[in-house]
This record gives sequence, C-alpha cells and structure tokens, in this order.
Amino acid sequence: MAPAEPNSSGGAAATKDPAPVKVPSKDPKKKDDKKDEDLSEEDLALKQQLELYVERVQDPDPGLQKVALESMRQEIRMATSSMTSVPKPLKFLRPHYGTLQAHYENMVDSDLKKLLADILSVLALTMSPEGERESLKYRLLGSDGDIGSWGHEYVRNLAGEISQEYAKRQSEEGPIDDLMDLVVQIVAFHMKHNAEPEAVDLLMEVEDLDLLVEHVDSTNYKRTCLYLTSSAKYLPGPDDMLVLDIAHSIYMKFNEYPRALQIALYLDNFQYVKELFKICKDRQKRQQFCFILARHGVPFELDDETFPEDEEREAFQDIINNNKLNEGYLTLARDIEVMEPKSPEDIYKAHLLDGRGSGGSAVDSARQNLAATFVNAFVNAGFGQDKLMTVPSEVSSGGSSSSWLFKNKEHGKASAAASLGMILLWDVDSGLAQLDKYFHSTDTHVVAGALLGVGIVNCNVQNECDPALALLAEYVDKDDSAIKIGAIMGLGLAYAGAQNEHVRVLLMQILGDGKSSLDVIAFTAISLGLVFVGSCNEDIAQAIIIALMDRSEAELGDPLARFLPLGLGLLYLGKQDSVEATAEVSKTFNEKIRKHCDMTLLACAYAGTGNVLKVQHFLGQCAQHLDKGEAYQGQAVLGIAMVAMAEDLGLEMAIRSLEHLLQYGEQNIRRAVPLALGLLCISNPKVNVMDTLSRLSHDADSEVAMAAIISLGLIGSGTNNARIAGMLRNLSSYYYKDASLLFCVRIAQGLVHLGKGLLTLSPYHSERSLLSPTALAGLGVMLHACLGMKAIILGEISLCSIFPYTGHAAKNVDDSRRKPETSVSTGSCGSSS
Amino acid sequence: MGQGTPGGLNRQLPDRKNDGDKKEKKFEPAAPPARVGRKQRKQKGPDAAARIPTVTPLTKCKLRFLKLERIKDYLLMEEEFVANQERLKPQEEKTEEDRSKVDDLRGSPMSVGNLEELIDENHAIVSSSVGPEYYVGILSFVDKDQLEPGCAILMHNKVLSVVGLLQDDVDPMVSVMKVEKAPLESYADIGGLDAQIQEIKEAVELPLTHPELYEDIGIKPPKGVILYGEPGTGKTLLAKAVANSTSATFLRVVGSELIQKYLGDGPKLVRELFRVADDLSPSIVFIDEIDAVGTKRYDAHSGGEREIQRTMLELLNQLDGFDSRGDVKVILATNKIESLDPALLRPGRIDRKIEFPLPDIKTKRRIFQIHTSRMTLSDDVNLEEFVMTKDEFSGADIKAICTEAGLHALRERRMKVTHADFKKAKDKVMFKKKEGVPEGLYM
Repeated sequence: MAPAEPNSSGGAAATKDPAPVKVPSKDPKKKDDKKDEDLSEEDLALKQQLELYVERVQDPDPGLQKVALESMRQEIRMATSSMTSVPKPLKFLRPHYGTLQAHYENMVDSDLKKLLADILSVLALTMSPEGERESLKYRLLGSDGDIGSWGHEYVRNLAGEISQEYAKRQSEEGPIDDLMDLVVQIVAFHMKHNAEPEAVDLLMEVEDLDLLVEHVDSTNYKRTCLYLTSSAKYLPGPDDMLVLDIAHSIYMKFNEYPRALQIALYLDNFQYVKELFKICKDRQKRQQFCFILARHGVPFELDDETFPEDEEREAFQDIINNNKLNEGYLTLARDIEVMEPKSPEDIYKAHLLDGRGSGGSAVDSARQNLAATFVNAFVNAGFGQDKLMTVPSEVSSGGSSSSWLFKNKEHGKASAAASLGMILLWDVDSGLAQLDKYFHSTDTHVVAGALLGVGIVNCNVQNECDPALALLAEYVDKDDSAIKIGAIMGLGLAYAGAQNEHVRVLLMQILGDGKSSLDVIAFTAISLGLVFVGSCNEDIAQAIIIALMDRSEAELGDPLARFLPLGLGLLYLGKQDSVEATAEVSKTFNEKIRKHCDMTLLACAYAGTGNVLKVQHFLGQCAQHLDKGEAYQGQAVLGIAMVAMAEDLGLEMAIRSLEHLLQYGEQNIRRAVPLALGLLCISNPKVNVMDTLSRLSHDADSEVAMAAIISLGLIGSGTNNARIAGMLRNLSSYYYKDASLLFCVRIAQGLVHLGKGLLTLSPYHSERSLLSPTALAGLGVMLHACLGMKAIILGEISLCSIFPYTGHAAKNVDDSRRKPETSVSTGSCGSSS
Repeated sequence: MGQGTPGGLNRQLPDRKNDGDKKEKKFEPAAPPARVGRKQRKQKGPDAAARIPTVTPLTKCKLRFLKLERIKDYLLMEEEFVANQERLKPQEEKTEEDRSKVDDLRGSPMSVGNLEELIDENHAIVSSSVGPEYYVGILSFVDKDQLEPGCAILMHNKVLSVVGLLQDDVDPMVSVMKVEKAPLESYADIGGLDAQIQEIKEAVELPLTHPELYEDIGIKPPKGVILYGEPGTGKTLLAKAVANSTSATFLRVVGSELIQKYLGDGPKLVRELFRVADDLSPSIVFIDEIDAVGTKRYDAHSGGEREIQRTMLELLNQLDGFDSRGDVKVILATNKIESLDPALLRPGRIDRKIEFPLPDIKTKRRIFQIHTSRMTLSDDVNLEEFVMTKDEFSGADIKAICTEAGLHALRERRMKVTHADFKKAKDKVMFKKKEGVPEGLYM
C-alpha cells in the first residue's frame, strides 16, 4: 500500500475518513445493520437523532419543523472535535444534504426557511462541490445571525468564497452590496479573534481596505500594520502605495507617530510629515521625528506655524541638519571606550600571520603609504584624532602631520589631505580650521585634497552659514583641473541630497562650458547627481544630456565618461517611471554610450524597488554574448543588485542568480558579480556570500580578485567581523608580491574596521524599511568607479583616491532619548585629482 | 555508496577557461583550501547557496502567497537565463571533453581507500583496506574542501594518488533503517485507541503537514512522543499506522540495534541516524523498545554498561541538544516507562507521554471484529461472550485467540470456526498467560 496523504484538518478529512464512505446507501434499514459494527452507541444515537430531525424538517407542521431545525442547529454548534476530524453531526448529515436542499426549494418564505438556509450553508462547507459557492449562496439567503457562532473554519471558508464571488461579479459588473455586508461581519470577526492577516487578505481581495481602519483597535493594530507593511513590498503597484496609506492612517489613529513617519518617508510624502508635526505636540516625540529625518538624510524645513517658539524650532532644525551629529558620535565612542586612535598596523595585525612576506617589502612605499592613509582615515573616521595626520607637529619632530602628508606622492598627497576631512567627519568648526592651513600650500594636489576634505567634513551636515559653499565656490573657477575637481567633488559631497540652488547654478556653468575637459565634466555630473539625488530635476538632466552629446567618440570610450550617465541616473534614483522620458532621449546617444546609459538609468531609477521585471530585463542583457569592447553588462549586473536589494527574498534569490552569472558569464560580467554581491549584502556579512567572495578573491583574473577583495570589505564594513578580518589577513600574505591587489586588501581591511565598528555603509535604516537615497547614491558612485577598477582606482590616469564618504548618521533615539545612541552610516566615493 | 562524483569538477571549469586568456601569467599556487580537515556541516557552503530561502509566515495568507510567487518569478528567470546560455554556448561538449580527460587521469580501475590524514594542500596519508598506509599526492581536480580525515576516497590503481572521493557517506546501518515500503497496517486496523491516535496525530503528523496551525496559536509543536503500556496493546501497531499514512520519511530502529560491539560506535550510530533524519526531513524517527538503551543511570561496573549509557547520553543530546533539529519528530515505544531515565522523558525532549491501556469492552469488541472479519465463522459463534469476560486481554491476546481458534478448526478439517473452537483457544491462551509461563519472562 502506498503511503496515503495524512489526514488533515477540516474539510479535507471528510472525504478521507473511512466512516462516511460507507454511509451513502439510501436505505436506512440496511445502513443500520452495518452501523452496528462501525459505530459506538453514542454515535449511533446521535445519528438516529439527526435522521429524525431531517425527517421532521420535512414535516408539514411548522412548529415541529421549527423544533427540529433548532435542535439540529444546537447539535452542530455543540459538536466539538479535534483538529483532525470532521465534527460528527456534519458527518452524519452529509447524506441528507440533497434532501434538505430539495426541501428548501419547496419551502415558502418564512423565518424557518432562513433557519434552514443557515444550516444548509454550514453543511455546504463539506458538501458543496468545488467552485459552486453554495455556502455563500445559502448564507446570503439565510438570517443575518452572528457569523462567528458556526466556528472559524466556516468563516474562513466563507471568506474564500466571497473573494471568488467578488471577482466574478466584478467582471460581470453585478452589485456587490450584499457581499460587502458580509465582508464587514467577517472582518470584524477576524479582527476580534487574532486573525488579522485573514481580515486584511479578504479586504484586499474585495479592494476595500478602508474598512480596516474602523475595525482595528489598540490590541491588534500592531500586527495588522506589520502585516500590511510587509505585504506592501511584494504587492504590485499601485496597490502597495494604497496598502501603505492605510497602514499610515492606522498608525495615525493610534498615535504611533514614529511608525507613521517611517511610512510617510517611504511614501516620500512630505505632506504627511508636516501633518505629523502639526498633530504631535509632544516635545520628545517631535525630537525623535527630527532624528529620523536626519537619519534619512532629506532636507526638511520646520515652519513657524508648527513651532511658534524660535528657540525650539532652531534646536530641532539643528537636529535635522545633523549639526550635533559629531557630538553624539563622540559621546557614544566615549561611552563604549573606543576613543583611543588606532594606527594602520593595529588593523593589519601582521604579527598574527606566520612566515612569508608579512613585512611586504616588495611593495613600493608610496602605495604602501597611500594604503596606510586610507586605512587610517577609515578606522578613525569621525573621531577627530589619529596617529598619522592629526598628531601635533611640535610633539614629534619626525612624524608630524605635514611630514606624513609629504611622504605620499602626487595624488597620494591629495588623498592624505582629504583623509583629514574623513577623520574630522561632521565636525565642521574644528575640521575647517585644521584644513585651513593646507589651502595656502603651493602644491596643487594638497589644495585639491583639502578642498575635497572640506566636502567630506560637511557631508550630511547642513550649516546655516554654508561655510563649504563659501570656501569652495572660489576654487571652482580655478584653472588647474586638479583643484577644480577637488572643489567640485567637495561641493557634491557637502551638499549631497540638499538640492541647493547655489550649487546648481555654480555647477551648471561648468557643465555648460564647452572647454571643460572630460574629467571635470564627469565629476561635475556626479556632484550634481549627488546634490539633486532623486529630484528628477529637468534642467540638470538636460544639461548633462547636452554635455554627453558634445563629447567626441574617443572621449566616450574613456571609463570616466561612464560617470555622466551615472550622474543622470542619480537624479532619478528610486523614482521609477519618471525616468521614461530621459531614457527615451538616451536612445539617441552615440552607440558607444547608449546601452551603457540605458542600463545605468534603469538601475538607478528602480533601485531599491525589488521590481522583478527589471531584474529580468537586466538578466536578459547579461545573457547576451557581446563582441569585445562593449562593457555595459557590468552595469546590468550592478543593476540587478541595486533593484533586488529591496527585500530579503529578492536579495537571496538575486544571490542565486549571480551564481549563475558567475558560471556562464563572460569576463566583464564576472568582474561585476563580486561588486554586486558586495552591494546586496553591504555591512551584512552573510556566511555564504563570504565564502563565495573568498573563493573569487583567488580568481585567476586579477580584476575579479580585486573586486572580490573590495567586496569582502564592503560586506564587512563597519562590523569588525573577525572572520573577514582573518580572511583578509591571509590574503595580504598571499598577495604580498602584488602591489595593486595588496592595496585592495588594505582598503578592505580599513573598511571592515570602519569607524572602529561604529559606522556602517548600509543605506537601509529603521529595521531595513527605509532606504536613504544619498547613501545609496554614494554607494552607487563607488561601485561604478570600482567597475573600471584598473583604470580609475589603480591607474594614475587622473585620480588616486576612492575617497569616500557622504556620511550619514543614524540616530536611534530611545524614548528617554537623553543619550542619542549614534550608529552611523556612510557610503560613497568621491575622487580627487 | 558507489556514485562517487568527482569533487570540484564544476568549480574548476571556469578557471581553466581563464587560463587560456592569461597565458603570460606566471604560475601561481592554487588557492589554499579554506579549511583543512574539520568536519563540515552539510548545510554550509555551495549547498546553502543553492537552497531556496525559507518563507515566513507559515500561515496560509496572501503575504505568503506573494512571497512564494516572488521566489517563483526569480526561479523562472534563472531557468530562462540558464536555458539561454545553454542554447548560445552549449557546455556539454566541453564538459564531455574535460570529463574524459579527467577519466584518463584517474585510470581504471580505481581502488577505494580511506583518508587518514591531510598533510598539506596537495598531499595526504591514505590507507586501503588491505594494508599499509601511503603518503600520496592529491590531484588538483579533487575538491579539497570536501576532503576530510576519515572519508572514503578513490585512489589511482598504480600510484595510489587521490583521484576522487565517494560522497555518499551515509552509514549503511542507517540507510537500512529507512522504511521504504509502507507497512500494510493503517489507522483503520486499530481497534479503539481513538484518543491515542488523536494525540499522536497532533504531536507527530500535524506539525509536519500543517505547521501554520501551531504558529497561529503561538506554540512550538511537540518534538516527540513516547508510547508506553502493557505488552500487546498496540504501540508498535500504531507506529506502523503512522508510517503507513505519512508521506514523511520514516526511520525505524529497535533500541537494541543501537548497542554496538566497539566503543563509540553506538553514539556514532545515533548521531548518524539523526543526521540522516535531518537531511531527509521532514521525517519521523521511531525507536522501539527504548528501554534497551534508555534505562536509569547508575554506577556501571562493566565497560558494556557504560557504553550503553553513553549511547543514551548521545540520544539525549540529539533529542534536545545544542543543535536544533528541524522537522524531525521522534516516537519512542516501551513497556517499562518507569525504568527509563528521567532526563529522557523531560518535556522538551519527549513532550507527550501516551499511555496504551488494556482494552476496555468496547475496544475489545472492535478488536475482535477486526480479527474475525476475514475468518469464516459458523453461525453459533457468539463473540460477545468473550468480549464481556472479566479476563484481562490485550490486543495481542485477542489476536492469539482468533488464530488459535482458526488452528483448531484446521486441525479438525472444518471450513468454519465454531464457538467451541474459540472457547478452547481462549482457555489455552489464558492458561499460557496466567500459569504456563513464569511471570517474569513475560514482563
């Protein structure tokens, strides 16, 4: 005998239970004989009783009928059963369903008829054939009694039938009023009985979620909203917006304002945010809103109306502008005692490596020093003190700050100067003072680095005096391209997401200037993209497009030209359909850049949406085999990661897809896959991804290996993950002869210990529900820069640094909120020349 | 055993292709294995990457549906992508070519050996069943991540280098325990015991088929049940019925099987048993006569007793130890529950204790019906007489009476079993039970 399906609960068991199978013989006499064997006495009694009722119901005397029906109802309601079988009365009434049905048709309208309809409706639960919806039919004909009295299974079944019926009537455009009455009853029942998901499902089916708001109460609104918000990620638009809207109004109804704010930010609806400030008068809660807004990194002006008192308004505006970020960060660092600056050697931990080449003597010292500069900046980011750059010169004569600076060559000097900005992250006042001395340097690289440093210091902090703009504006017009780019990137980082008008005017001029060289144009585009991220600004888009069209074919082949479409894409970050018009225009571009532009725009526009169709589109692009020389598939691979990073399932499935790409893809795809993995699991060291990257870090193709190493740094960024640190240490001894790979390893090591573990690169915050656009934009720039790894990062073409950091501070403020616990995120890459 | 796949073949392929592009690159030593010689858990590594993420909530609702749809979408895309790639660039020929090359290198026949120790990345000490140990090389196409001391390997017939490994490392002892053919007994063949059937269904079957019910109500389903009661009351029968009706993997062991000749073999078998159960989950493990290993601990004097106790300790760990077991349910059966170790029965290991009492009158009647339903009875048989007796019958006794009565009839060459037959049979069975056999033997 083959193993049969195990008997299940409810209806399914009815058909399988051995007892009812023998029942259907029509002759009661014969049946009785058989019954004697199979049934216990009580069961037999019950059965006969029920048979009697059935006969009585058909009796002409209404009194007798009534009694019979009532007692039949009693029996059904009284029946208790285990999960594993059908209630006995239902089982015994099965053979009589047909008879009762026939009798019902012949009855005259009366209360009795309704009563019978009720019973038939319950019986139909197990009896009616698939798709007939008889249960619903009789329910509608029956009396409008309490729906819950027949039990959960009945209500559940009814809900299923309603959604079918609704779909049918929708297509036939029939009236649905009677259905809606029932829906209201069922929803009320579900909400009372801890079955919120079912209530929500039913309302989604009948497209009337508004009803939900009436039925939630303080005990179940949390579960309901949780269900709504998690469903929203998987629903097709515009349903998802609708669902979130409902969740928002429920949160508002129950004064759960911070959650409501999160949803408002997700919906990108600043009307809601304003309302929130108007409604909520609680000072502490308002303060918390400000922290959330600051973490999200969107500019927001508090108005006089909601904050009549100037003092309060200014204090709160300070929070939104992140002016106090540095203080909070340092407080946290002091609390957990990590203020002590660390030197790069503390990170390399070379003494843990045995044997060969831990000294790394083969590497040219300039590269080595540059790597040390980066690691130093990453590790001590935001702490305002370190062991290389900020050591007061009078203390140590040999190792003073300026002398470390000059241990680097050309671009290295720029990086070193800029790294000072990183160390003093968010500390505008003292940061600018410290950087000031470099402005007077005669070395253009130092000046450029200092300018970039100003940008990094101001990153994500908005100051009313706009010191960054004042400082940088005059350098933008300088002739030297290094200084110019430094100033441009400085502006881009300082005002990322701020949508500042002055910056726009300033940068648009450069973009419109036909004489500007490609590198200047490229960085201008990036800066504009960062400043106006997700704004869909038509003017800027137009300007970038024109700049792109002006370029000669040879210039478009340059890896730097890729930054132009990227700048364009950032303007539309996460804006989905609004990109259409620009995407159309991009089709007219030179064919060298056309595909490339197309991919970048799509990837940016649908970043963080989890849109499956776009992922399919990108995969389709990757599936093609190209002639040599075309490289847009790398963008497509990154696109998969950017789109799929929205939710956990998509993330895991995307990792699977990337495995396939690795297996089948050409070289240019393989190079992008590690980066895509790094983006998917940013600051989230998943073991399986770690293993894959570790495998790829030994790849025969050095660019794949480099990307994998950097990605190892990315997935471990700011986690101090010991396993990744160990892997990187081993890699550093494995690659001790190869300068550029070792350089990557060092940078990755720095990333892992980012801010001594207090910073993160993840653009997601608030329990992975909100995506900070500026952080994502920064990451995007960095990853695209990594795509041209050899040319941009390692080559000496025009840049030297992947100096990052549009910083972002997340402040998770607990309700007492005296001590803003600051966990901080940063991301991105600027570059200087 | 026997379907040894060449370790690491697939992974090596793309790398080799790159080598073509990069001829000028000097030789580099192969990547060191991520880990040498530690036991690796099955789920880790590439296997884990191939797994589909788990979908929560378990409750049947739209959210679950949407999530599953999403996974399906991604899988469809993968399928499309892979199909496209295969069409554009058939890999089969290449694979075929590489495979034949690898086969040449491996030679034929290959001898089967045991990996004793990994020395470094490319060398190991191996032994074959016949004799001495050798220090040999490991060929580069063998997946070193999967090599671990003690695993079965394939060796070249002349130079004895490691050319592959046998992956199916399930202990043959365990694979025998798997019930391949469902037993014939079903729930319908059990007389009475309604409450017991319901309990075991709730504790064992429903958590595997309808996990959402338990999540709804907010409890963790029971991990295991123990069936106990007088001999012959249907414990094993019920377990058979569970095996018959479930679609989950059913592993059955008898407690005495867990006692092995060599030290450490018993606990190892228990570990292996549960590992297999986990791999094949959802699964049900049925350990009959658990008192063979599960008796109370006391100061043991002989090594044998200590070994039995260690086997039980391993069982304790597997039942509720540090590693969580997934969809593995445990059914134990014994007729001496009072002699079992209390640690074995604590909630968390065994959450439900199901007692099998001697049948009451109603049940007796039902059991008689079941056993006599296929017998040809003469008209004078009145089973009620036996049903109503005060003697304590177990289910097995009733079966014995029926069989005995049948034998009587056979002896007298009758085609029908008479009431007298039954009477004699009953007397005989009761005599044997009460007096004929010393009490201790039956207990």
